[in-house]
Amino acid sequence: MNAIQLPDPSVVSGLEHLARTELSLRARIGHVLLALVASAMTIVVVSLWLTEPALPARTTTAFAMMTAIGLGWVAYSIWVLQAKRVMLAKQRVVAGRLASLFAAAFTLGCLALGIATTVRAAWPALAMSVLLLAVALVLWRRAEAAHARLLARRDTLERELARGAR
Amino acid sequence: MLTKPNPTDSANGRTADELLVVRCQLGEPEAFDDLIARWHRPLWQYIRRMSGRDDEAHDLLQEVWVRVIRGIARLRDGSRLRAWLFGITRRTLMDRLRREYAALPLGDVDVTELAADVEPIDIEADLASLDAALETLPTIEREVLTLFYLRDLSLAELADTLNVPVGTVKSRLFRARKLLRAAMQERCDS
Repeated sequence: MNAIQLPDPSVVSGLEHLARTELSLRARIGHVLLALVASAMTIVVVSLWLTEPALPARTTTAFAMMTAIGLGWVAYSIWVLQAKRVMLAKQRVVAGRLASLFAAAFTLGCLALGIATTVRAAWPALAMSVLLLAVALVLWRRAEAAHARLLARRDTLERELARGAR
Repeated sequence: MLTKPNPTDSANGRTADELLVVRCQLGEPEAFDDLIARWHRPLWQYIRRMSGRDDEAHDLLQEVWVRVIRGIARLRDGSRLRAWLFGITRRTLMDRLRREYAALPLGDVDVTELAADVEPIDIEADLASLDAALETLPTIEREVLTLFYLRDLSLAELADTLNVPVGTVKSRLFRARKLLRAAMQERCDS
């Protein structure tokens, strides 16, 4: 009945290669870093914008444009991570840890700058970086929970299959 | 006329599918190799039967797997893997058909209905197998028979895959069997 020829064996190795490329951790971490750096840059620009008194119109325009560019990169990297480089459980855990570390370091930097110098922009930057840190921690925690749920489900299914095989 | 082969290694098969999905969702690279090893053949046969050409089928197969890899993290019920995979494959095929028909001045004709109206290709005089008769059926009938008998999808899975009610699946199967019977009869007569 089945006269359809099977695909060439090279098709299967091609598909495995395709999967490896699609699942590249490097590309995902790259986009996570892009989102973090763009967020930090946007926080710095917005803080300066808010705290510098009597800015000329062209400087205000420049700050607005830099903020828009920063937000644009954040939106782009989030879109890539949701549509093209969808993160799997282990990768989400790695990304969550990385984002939390980065946000913590940035928050501490803002705090140190606020305490040690008279840079007024440090305080709004600190407030926004705390928000960034909170988001990163929530995402990390959710990633760990999802990872643990999947591990537990995997163990249950493996036991079920082993029972069925006996 | 046709008996449904291997009434699905049901429970174990679904558990194995769900385990594969969970391993993929965890991010185990070998799980994707296992997924490809387990499913590339049925998907290839479905695509090849529906598209009719090797080169086009290869392109479609790649497109399907890209969608699978990108979408598997969002598959909530891993035991539905079979219906989910064939659903993606079907949508990829339909997208391709839409793109092809978009070049023609057909307005907003429903491709699915259009495909149903396509005349069966001529049955060659030397038809030697049921498979050849199946090849002559219109797209919808060929699809429903392929998925039900050759790919072993249940009525509920078929309804899920085709996004139609179970009753519609039954009527499509009825019509498909009738057409296939006629095609086989014609072959015998000739």
